[in-house]
Amino acid sequence: MRRPGLRTKVTAGFAAGALIICSAMGILSYDLTRRSLVNTRERAAIRAAYFDASVVQANLTGAPADNAQEVLRSLDTGTTRHAVLYQDGRAYARSVDIGFTRSIPAALRATVAGGQPAVQRVRTETGAAIVIGIPLPDGTQFYIIDSLQELERTLQILGLVLTLVAAGMTAAGAGTGIYATRRVLRPLTSVTAAAREIAAGDLAARLDPAAEPELEQLSTSFNHMVGELASRLERDRRFAADVSHELRSPLQTLAAAVSVLERRREHLDERSRRAVTLISGEVDRFQRLVTDLLELARGDQPADLQPVDIHDLVRQVCRSRSLPSSVFAPAGSAATATDAALYPAAGSGAVAAAAAKSGAGAAAAAKSGTAAAAKSGAGAEPDVAEPDESWLVDRRRIEQVLANLIDNADRHGGGPTAIRLRSTATEHVIEVDDEGPGVPPADREQIFSRFVRGRTAGARRDTDGTGLGLAIVAQHAAAHGGQAEVLDRPGGGARFRVTLPRRP
Amino acid sequence: MLVIEDDDRIRTSLELALEDEGYAVRGASSAEEGLALQRQEPADTVLVDLMLPGLDGFDAIRELRRGDDVPIVVVSARSDTHDIVAALEAGADDYLVKPVAVKELSARLRALRRRARAAAAAIPGLVFGDLEVRPLAGEVRLAGQPVSLTRTEFRLLCEFAEHPGLVLSRQQLLERVWEYDFGDERLVDVHVGRLRQKIETEPGNPRYLVTVRGLGYKLQR
Repeated sequence: MRRPGLRTKVTAGFAAGALIICSAMGILSYDLTRRSLVNTRERAAIRAAYFDASVVQANLTGAPADNAQEVLRSLDTGTTRHAVLYQDGRAYARSVDIGFTRSIPAALRATVAGGQPAVQRVRTETGAAIVIGIPLPDGTQFYIIDSLQELERTLQILGLVLTLVAAGMTAAGAGTGIYATRRVLRPLTSVTAAAREIAAGDLAARLDPAAEPELEQLSTSFNHMVGELASRLERDRRFAADVSHELRSPLQTLAAAVSVLERRREHLDERSRRAVTLISGEVDRFQRLVTDLLELARGDQPADLQPVDIHDLVRQVCRSRSLPSSVFAPAGSAATATDAALYPAAGSGAVAAAAAKSGAGAAAAAKSGTAAAAKSGAGAEPDVAEPDESWLVDRRRIEQVLANLIDNADRHGGGPTAIRLRSTATEHVIEVDDEGPGVPPADREQIFSRFVRGRTAGARRDTDGTGLGLAIVAQHAAAHGGQAEVLDRPGGGARFRVTLPRRP
Repeated sequence: MLVIEDDDRIRTSLELALEDEGYAVRGASSAEEGLALQRQEPADTVLVDLMLPGLDGFDAIRELRRGDDVPIVVVSARSDTHDIVAALEAGADDYLVKPVAVKELSARLRALRRRARAAAAAIPGLVFGDLEVRPLAGEVRLAGQPVSLTRTEFRLLCEFAEHPGLVLSRQQLLERVWEYDFGDERLVDVHVGRLRQKIETEPGNPRYLVTVRGLGYKLQR
């Protein structure tokens, strides 16, 4: 389970705090208000009851049975108060509302009958009420049942208001929590953004310490860290560049001098000739190594995007590597036609083999490569590229990507069997297939690192490579904001894929 | 051929290798020495390094270019765009980054020499407004006045003149003028810039040699 974040915690804290404070305040004020209201009301009721009792006493002549009703009617009781007289166990009221007599508790009656005035709160059929009993002379008891309904309603409204206030305050507390965390976390958001930019390669990204005074220390040390990181990277880069650069001059001498020896190889004896061949080969490799190192060292430069006729470029690279043009099947026509030409260099045998391996029947294999292509899923995405295929890329880098992928296929995969270009609405894809041993999944990431050479037994000429070719491919892809990866080619072998974002 | 290179070992090895290729080579270890040699007895091609003591390679190229169309090839360890463009703008015809294989170097030199001859084998004469190109006579006139072009500039202009109004891509121009299968498009851009300086009244707003965005250049009437 994910632990709750700072934002959630602070928000919940603020809400809980507001709720507790508001509830306490609400309950306290409700209680105080209720008490004071009830007391006031009680005192008023008692005062009125005594007044009424004196009126009754004054007007009562003889036995209550004679004029009790009359006397009671003369009282100003309104609709909320009801007067009851008791004498000799009989109750008298001003009207037939005798039901009220039932709400006078027996204990109260006993107390009053004993000559003690008494007050008790009761619950009648119509709601809360207060019963005040006053003993009159001659064993007569006077009771006032005063309804507290109005007071109750007032208290209900007060309770409702206080509850609403508490709820509102809780919500406000949560809101404050959200606002406060956002406010507090905002500078951290800029730290996150800066860190992301730096991770993406923008080492110039910095925080502004003045923008968030509270985070000045963090900003300062963050900037310091990035500065250190940038200068270390820069030092490494410079070192690689300087070393390669310094190697260029002696290499130039070697290259020229070796060519002089090469020209005279027939005048050399057998041993010298072999030595010259070795030197010449190594000088060659050394040159490539230095060129590749420099390329990597200056790889952080942004891609110089220009419209490039990608078909033309691929054909040129193929020509310069003496590859048959059939290896490259230009996209642009119908997708099936493109895919049908997937493995032209390998011949129809390979197509049939691929089809059989990928599960298509022999009949499908007979129908040229269409079935195999469909099965391989290479044409899964529709081909939306225009026929002229102008890509907005860095020509020099893409040229090198193609050349390095072809060289890699040559060295480790027995030569490229297909070069494919594909464009979707959002990206351009370059794929180079070979039918070599492929790349085991464990090595697939590492293969794009520097100085990693194929370690497969089939790679006879792997000492030829500089070990930097695929690192350069990955770096060039990254410079475009894309990526390089290696997959299994359906039917065996490796498929190197470079994906570049398509820019409008 | 004149090789201006301050590193003795590189110069000696280049001399040896280029002599094998059939060139008569003279070496100079500084720009001053090279310029003096060139004044005494002009060589038909000059190889020049950029980092030289005293007068540097850029100055040497400018000095060599002064009133002379001798083909100049830069062979330098510097591979930054900035240096390449600066050297080409100073007047170099081609730019090679060290270490360069002797085979490659001699292929470039041969292409450079052919450039002068190839131009002469073309069509008689073409007129583009005030601009008159006469490939056979090796002449370019702007409003009747002769314009002095280097061989590469002339060859480039002829390539355009032979295809009036047609867009030529940078790669096509590299193949036809420099004989690169595959080369640095900056060569074309800088040379077009140099040509404009000479044949356009407003090089920033060209009338004849116009850029077609994303495709290349064309010469219009």
